[in-house]
Amino acid sequence: MLGVRNLRRNKLRSFLTMLGMIFGVGSVIAMLAVGAGARAEILARISELGVQNIIVNSVKPPEESKPKSTNRRWIERYGLTFKDREIIEKTCQGVERILPVNVVRQRLWYQSHGIDCSVLGVEPEHLRTFGLTVRQGRTFNEIDESQGTKVCIVRPSLVRELETLADPVGLSVRIGNEPFRIVGVLDDARFSSHTKKALAIDGQHQEVYIPYSTSMRDFGTVTILRRSGSEERSEVELDQMVVRASSADAVAPTARVVGAVLARFHAKQDYEIVVPLELLRQKEQTQAVFNVVMVLIAAISLLVGGIGIANIMLATITERTKEIGIRRAMGARRSDILLQFLTETAAIGVVGGLFGCLFGLGAIWALVHVAGWQAVVAWSSFALALSISVAVAILSGIYPARRAALMDPIRALRFE
Amino acid sequence: MADTIVELDGVEKDYTSGDGVLTVLKRVNLNIERGEFVGIVGASGSGKTTLMNILGCLDKPTRGRYVLDGEDVSVLDDDRLSRVRNKSIGFVFQSFNLITQFSVLENVEVPLFYARLSRRERRERALAVIESVGLSHRLSHQPAQLSGGECQRVAIARALVTEPALLLTDEPTGNLDSKNGAEVLRLFYELHASGRTLIMVTHNPEIARRLPRVVEMKDGCLGEQQREGIFA
Repeated sequence: MLGVRNLRRNKLRSFLTMLGMIFGVGSVIAMLAVGAGARAEILARISELGVQNIIVNSVKPPEESKPKSTNRRWIERYGLTFKDREIIEKTCQGVERILPVNVVRQRLWYQSHGIDCSVLGVEPEHLRTFGLTVRQGRTFNEIDESQGTKVCIVRPSLVRELETLADPVGLSVRIGNEPFRIVGVLDDARFSSHTKKALAIDGQHQEVYIPYSTSMRDFGTVTILRRSGSEERSEVELDQMVVRASSADAVAPTARVVGAVLARFHAKQDYEIVVPLELLRQKEQTQAVFNVVMVLIAAISLLVGGIGIANIMLATITERTKEIGIRRAMGARRSDILLQFLTETAAIGVVGGLFGCLFGLGAIWALVHVAGWQAVVAWSSFALALSISVAVAILSGIYPARRAALMDPIRALRFE
Repeated sequence: MADTIVELDGVEKDYTSGDGVLTVLKRVNLNIERGEFVGIVGASGSGKTTLMNILGCLDKPTRGRYVLDGEDVSVLDDDRLSRVRNKSIGFVFQSFNLITQFSVLENVEVPLFYARLSRRERRERALAVIESVGLSHRLSHQPAQLSGGECQRVAIARALVTEPALLLTDEPTGNLDSKNGAEVLRLFYELHASGRTLIMVTHNPEIARRLPRVVEMKDGCLGEQQREGIFA
């Protein structure tokens, strides 16, 4: 008896009426999914780096500040020093622990096979902090650290490059001129490029982990780069330190203090501070701008959709004036007529909303598979989008429905 | 059994147009008893339609009193008037006024829908009335698929389905050929014979002559036609 069947009779018109709602609802859903996806991506990155960590890397100062020297014995010193570490440990209250990292560039030899590697000297805690779990063999322990054992942990990709059928665990290799034994193979999960950058891991070389004490004893802090006849020597006492704050709340103040201390003792900008938590904030700000744009698109689509519905309903009501008159003569009250047309617009909202959900899923699919975005589809967003669409439809139906309800039944009956 | 269905007491109707007030009904008095079949005749512009609208509770008198089936309807608001139309009045229009996208069955169910009857009760009562006008074989047809005579019988079924106290018909044969018109008229006579109260507006003197009682509108005034005087 109510107007729902009318939608079925005018399929094309109903569909065109719904288009605005379809786009509106679709973009609401896509927006929510993409937003959730971006958040999930950021959180994954942050958890790789650790929310409580502040990573301080030594960086080579800009070229122009380097003094010109022809002395072959010249050693360029830059970066973090042991003293920096000591001061930070003593003065910063929020610091729970500092993990030093010593990075050297060496070649790893297996029989006659040599591979260029970034050799990272780390404490056992470092592997745990960054989720570096071994899938084969063992991880470092306190004995490795205190005794400076000549053991290393490698990536599976390096094992593949060794081209050996032997069990990699227990394999004897040489790093530089020192004999080492592989004791563990890490999980294949690679760091995201973002994490690599933050941890100053060179993407072109294989990473090999050795105990920090071993690294300091066998390779020291001086790096010698030989290139086309000349030799470049540089000394970096601490290539990296991972400062762990006592809690997530302490991260921001600790990072500020660390920054202040380093600024005081370093004339040149030969270090960088990476605060994962801050990255999260920055990302969220970018995300917020994106969200505003999406909300705007959704709002405009829904507004236009609502106007479209109001427009079509006004036309429908003129077209069905006679029917309204007949219904009134048969005893329909004004509120019955109002309800009838609101039911009709609500139906447009529901059906348009459902189509909009499909459109949204399509848009998400396209963003994920074509544009390579991340998206997380939450089913609650469909409920939200659907109720928005129904609400907009009913709101835009109120004026036309009221006009229908207030029609004079006598004139409506005589309308041809 | 002389109980009064329609009692118009000094009913007047004003229309305000651009240049003043136009009184289209002047001191109209009319009493119709239960079971009467009354014709209303009159030239166009005589106020016939306005009178019908007031009798059908689609319009309210400006002055005067209208008591329908014991209830003073001249004081009711729009919602209550709607209920009176639903419960006490059955309309049959010249142009049938069926809802085109509804089937025969659904058209007859419309008044019952607004009487808030359950779906099952609506169906049962509609089926019974449709059978009484002889259209049981056309239940799911749409008005466009029916002949004019059949459409008017659907409209009559729709008017009867709520068992109204008063049946108002406005030129019910105006859009029909003589054969279908006669058929529809025969239905009205049958309804009259079964004790229903009917009012019929008609232009057709042939039809008016055969009605037991005829009143005439002339310039907004209502007068009883003395048939013995005219047709004797």
